[in-house]
Amino acid sequence: MIARIWGARGSLSAPGPETVSYGGNTSCVELELADGTTLILDAGSGIRELGQKLAERDPGTAYICLTHLHLDHVEGLGFFAPLWRAGWKLQFWGPPSTTATLRERISRYLSPPLFPIGLSEATAEAVLDDVPREPWRVGSAVVEAQTVEHRGPTLGYRIEEDGRVLAYLPDHEPYLTSALDDPREWISGWALAAGADLLLHDSQYTDDEYVGRLGWGHSSGAHAAAFARAAGVRRLALFHHDPMRSDRALEELYDQVAELVQEDQEQPLIAREGLQIDFGSIA
Amino acid sequence: MERKQPDLVLIVARSFATKLATPTLIIDARGDLVYFNDAAGEVLGRSYVDIGALQASHWQALFQPRTLAEEPLTAEQTPGGVALLERRPVRDSFVMRGLDGREREITVTAFPLFSRPDEVVGVMSIFWELPPAP
Repeated sequence: MIARIWGARGSLSAPGPETVSYGGNTSCVELELADGTTLILDAGSGIRELGQKLAERDPGTAYICLTHLHLDHVEGLGFFAPLWRAGWKLQFWGPPSTTATLRERISRYLSPPLFPIGLSEATAEAVLDDVPREPWRVGSAVVEAQTVEHRGPTLGYRIEEDGRVLAYLPDHEPYLTSALDDPREWISGWALAAGADLLLHDSQYTDDEYVGRLGWGHSSGAHAAAFARAAGVRRLALFHHDPMRSDRALEELYDQVAELVQEDQEQPLIAREGLQIDFGSIA
Repeated sequence: MERKQPDLVLIVARSFATKLATPTLIIDARGDLVYFNDAAGEVLGRSYVDIGALQASHWQALFQPRTLAEEPLTAEQTPGGVALLERRPVRDSFVMRGLDGREREITVTAFPLFSRPDEVVGVMSIFWELPPAP
């Protein structure tokens, strides 16, 4: 399994000279599985460039797991080239709703007046389903989804292949509903991240910022580190960078988080566009 | 590593209960007592920290719930049990023995916690101790 980051910014795209090192595109991660299957996590603006790459090959099937439907996680869909190419089959999964299907909810964005073209005009075969309740197989990986603490119905994902685990919780505020010393099973998202080799986790705020944004659905870098420690994660990657965070400020946040890492954990990293992680090379 | 954990709805319900000054108790989908808050501890006679999680049969035996006419209630007949089994809100009064040995009449409002339209993950019970009859 190879993970490629196409977007790690949170809330709003943030292009410009201040964010050129880590990138300004919103959430999108490509997973290339061992059997060649393409599994995509979220459809933020980063999916535009990924779509350009996929469109260079013959049409096939791609699987897209959406954590939730806030704009920064779906805003790239209208510019995802395979959606407008005949022959592609795109299987989407997203959070369940009691009031509308996933297609109906996504169509609220992919339709006028918010977008000029409707999802019904897509030339690819787009299948949109609520996530299965139990872990399910996608290509050579097993995918598990659970609802996690954030504003509105939101999922986290756990992808396991050949004993290697990626946990993806880009929008998550576990310590809104748990205390740092709570039993770990009472911490939102714990089971998804438990023992993961790599955790891509929300670290949008500094500690000072978090105080004024309690309940907005995001974590501080310190909370991300505490969550990773509670879950026994091997390596934490800071993700969902605040759109106001410059590269320099992001590195300052990283330094604070790195000091919180324990001896049995690897040094954290900052998720950046272009970063590629080969799980097969993890010892 | 065992990775089982409660559904997020139960986690949020527990979090809500920790912040409430009203006695509140939470059971999971099996009927096991998984949490009660400090205010509930005052009525039950012991704190959750002292007791911890309890299986359904165990907490029924501990608190000896009875109707106001002193007929014994099984766990399934308590408001929490009815809310869980029949998937509907319930309001009822009954007698129980606190772990401090004192008998209490309490009124309970219990409602099922649905995580999906067809899935109940537990029950939240909010209760009040009735003042002694004059």
